[in-house]
Amino acid sequence: MMDEKGLSLRETVWSQLDRKAGAIIELTIRQLRNRISTWVVLGVGFLLMILLLAFYVDSVREGFESIDNDGDSVDMDGDGYPLGQEIKYGHSDWDSNQFPGSSEFIQVSAIGYNDQVRAISGNYTWSGAGTLNPIWIDSNYVGQQWSGIINWFDVDNTSCPLGTVYEDWWPQYFGYGCHYENNEYFVYGKFTASGEIVVPDGSEMLWGYNTELFYVEPDPKSMYINEDDIDWNGILLQKSQGFDDDGDCLRYNWILDSEDGSFYYDNDGEPFDNDKNDNGIICDVLWLLDDDLDEIESIEPDSNVDEDPDDERYMGESSHRTFIIGVGKMAFVIMIGLFLPLFLALGLVRDETENGTLHYLLSKPIHRGEFILYRLLGYLAVTGSYVFMLSLFVGILTAILGPGEGIIRLSDIPVWLGIGFATFLVLAAYGALFNTLGLISPKYGVYISIVFGVWEFVMGILTIANPNWTLSAISINHWALQIIDSVVLLAWPDTLQLQQMASAFNLDTGLDIFWKPPAHTLGTANPTVAILVSIFVLSTFTILMLGIGQSVFKNREIM
Amino acid sequence: MSDLNKKAPSILLEGVSKWYGEVIGINDISLAIEGGVTGILGSNGAGKSTLFKLLMGRLKPSQGTIRLFGIDPWKSTAPYRRIGYVSESERMYDWMTSLDFISTLARLHGMSREEAIKRSKHVLDFVGLEDVHHKKIGKYSKGMRQRVKIAHALVHDPDLIILDEPLHGCDPIARTSIMNVVRELGSQGKTVLISSHILEEIERITEQIVILHNGKLLAIGNLHAIRDLLDQHPHRILIKCENPRDLAKLFITSGPIYGVRFPDVGQLEIQTNNLSAAHDIIPSTLVESGQKITSIENPDDNLDSLIGYLLGGINDG
Repeated sequence: MMDEKGLSLRETVWSQLDRKAGAIIELTIRQLRNRISTWVVLGVGFLLMILLLAFYVDSVREGFESIDNDGDSVDMDGDGYPLGQEIKYGHSDWDSNQFPGSSEFIQVSAIGYNDQVRAISGNYTWSGAGTLNPIWIDSNYVGQQWSGIINWFDVDNTSCPLGTVYEDWWPQYFGYGCHYENNEYFVYGKFTASGEIVVPDGSEMLWGYNTELFYVEPDPKSMYINEDDIDWNGILLQKSQGFDDDGDCLRYNWILDSEDGSFYYDNDGEPFDNDKNDNGIICDVLWLLDDDLDEIESIEPDSNVDEDPDDERYMGESSHRTFIIGVGKMAFVIMIGLFLPLFLALGLVRDETENGTLHYLLSKPIHRGEFILYRLLGYLAVTGSYVFMLSLFVGILTAILGPGEGIIRLSDIPVWLGIGFATFLVLAAYGALFNTLGLISPKYGVYISIVFGVWEFVMGILTIANPNWTLSAISINHWALQIIDSVVLLAWPDTLQLQQMASAFNLDTGLDIFWKPPAHTLGTANPTVAILVSIFVLSTFTILMLGIGQSVFKNREIM
Repeated sequence: MSDLNKKAPSILLEGVSKWYGEVIGINDISLAIEGGVTGILGSNGAGKSTLFKLLMGRLKPSQGTIRLFGIDPWKSTAPYRRIGYVSESERMYDWMTSLDFISTLARLHGMSREEAIKRSKHVLDFVGLEDVHHKKIGKYSKGMRQRVKIAHALVHDPDLIILDEPLHGCDPIARTSIMNVVRELGSQGKTVLISSHILEEIERITEQIVILHNGKLLAIGNLHAIRDLLDQHPHRILIKCENPRDLAKLFITSGPIYGVRFPDVGQLEIQTNNLSAAHDIIPSTLVESGQKITSIENPDDNLDSLIGYLLGGINDG
């Protein structure tokens, strides 16, 4: 009696339904496992992941090495001082005579082009054109031809041509000198001497003195890599941030030089402007907020501010995220999400008809609609667990290899779960669709599915490029990609900032190619809303396709 | 889901027709079957499989109504709780063992896994496959496959069992064992529907037959009654032996035999008007002759002759 009672309690309608579902799901799984094509498709997917991981290790992981983003670690003139150090001292990196600690010319006065008095005596360092009657010449003060310093050894060997200078002959270059018969010289260049100088009309002569040469320890080149980090304190309401750590914006005389007419270009290739963002504060970075004042809308730095950030922190992190988002979108949603259903879902019911084994299943007390549902569930059990394991595999490997202090990057896990979930929804939607197409037209269903697959592929790429484009929303994977975009924003809220930093500070991270903020937030800008909208769209589509498939199959005669 | 009507007949067809475009599969069949083994006889294309597919809800009747236990099988799957169906299709899941195959399908009747395995072992025993249930079906002989199919149809202890050409292509041993199974089912009081195009096969199992011809119901009733009618008509019996001439002398003197022919070397054809009387004397005569007999054939004792006779009878009437 007890036994009978216990049995009847267990034998409820629900448990029977459960057993039927279990049997068909299990049968479907075993059938799929027994097909070679299943293993081929799953194997190809796995190989694709291995390839991508190799790419990750080879290029993304390598990319975490520090890069000289502003290019100031070079030493072009070979004087031992890198560009960054030369810039701090106001020197050119094209002139090996100019280097930190080198003597500098300080001007005292000058005879201009139109001044009345054309002669001057004294012991100075000079720069200009004139006839010199020397008392003393500093012949040690020499330089190269193009630096304009007169080489007195050459001058002694050069007789001035006959006739009057600027009438009968002209000096060939700045730094030229020659001697007359009467121990006087014509000079056109820089030199140090004592005596009287007569400046010809229409010429100019400056005079002053050279500072003492002093020794400056050359900085190692590595000092000019990652030396101008992004100085952002994370306080959104503070608009003006950033600091010119390496001093190549703050250097005052660049402005003078610019006014002088000689242009300097900053690292963006634009004319140097220490208040490029026009906020009245020199050498800062302007962080502009959106209307809600809770998100950064754009970042505008002044010239050469925060232009060489820590690559480990910004490039590495961004590249890592780019890889995960790219793999999630391209490999998981678009490739695996499309090919698994194409190979495995199309024949879920159709193959049974073709194999002549359908009647075993349909001569049982089970509705045809139920049957399709359980077949799809079996297919989803196989493909879903595959996607779950594959994302776990790639996820764990990249989380270990990826940048960051911890052994494993925990913040990656929700993103991978999101990728797996989005792929699963796509597998369900395509599975229901392809299965239904296979039912509607057993003969042409596969071709219709392939055409559809091409459409989906193109729309997926367009969605990645621009999720706001309306046409691309008429596709399944558009919505799955939205889920990934949204999950990324939830798991890594600073992704938007990283993306804006990349474009503001010229960091080539690729993040802006593969990730855009979610589009379908119903105006709330809330990523959770976009996820819910996408889940709604995808599951509605899946249920609709399942329903169409069920009603087609219900009225189908099975020969 | 309405409860199955316990009082309704197992099978009820009223004016059922099924045509595929221009081709008629079944034409205006009315039939009620309840209890015992019923043989559905008909040559290829007579409509046996169409009839079974209609019963199994795979096809929708073009006209008329079909009821299994009072329920329309096209609209509801409820009757299948009490029905076991063996299709003519020879395709199976060859990669499965027979135990797997049957227990998986048994679970579609709502059995638990353990129950399904227990029941499956039981039915595999019943059809005589207890030793091989862990072998893959792909490695089975034709007769074993056929028995697996029958076992699968019995696993839920159905009240109605439909077998579409279960003896087709089986060797004599498998044939005998299948026939025994079907007889046993009949004796258990189940309703069994078995189709065949070979009269002799059905004769060994049941007396209750339905004859289909060109989609129409040609005859229904007791096979012996029909056969007795047939016996009054001329029959031929072909005997292959060493010396037909000597044997002919013995036969020509006996009552029911009215003629002999020698169609080929080592062959004797005897003609009779009373088949059962002839059957009574043939064995003793053969023993008496002392000859080595290689075969006895009954070229007129087949479905075609029966149908021809029945059609002739109708035409005569």
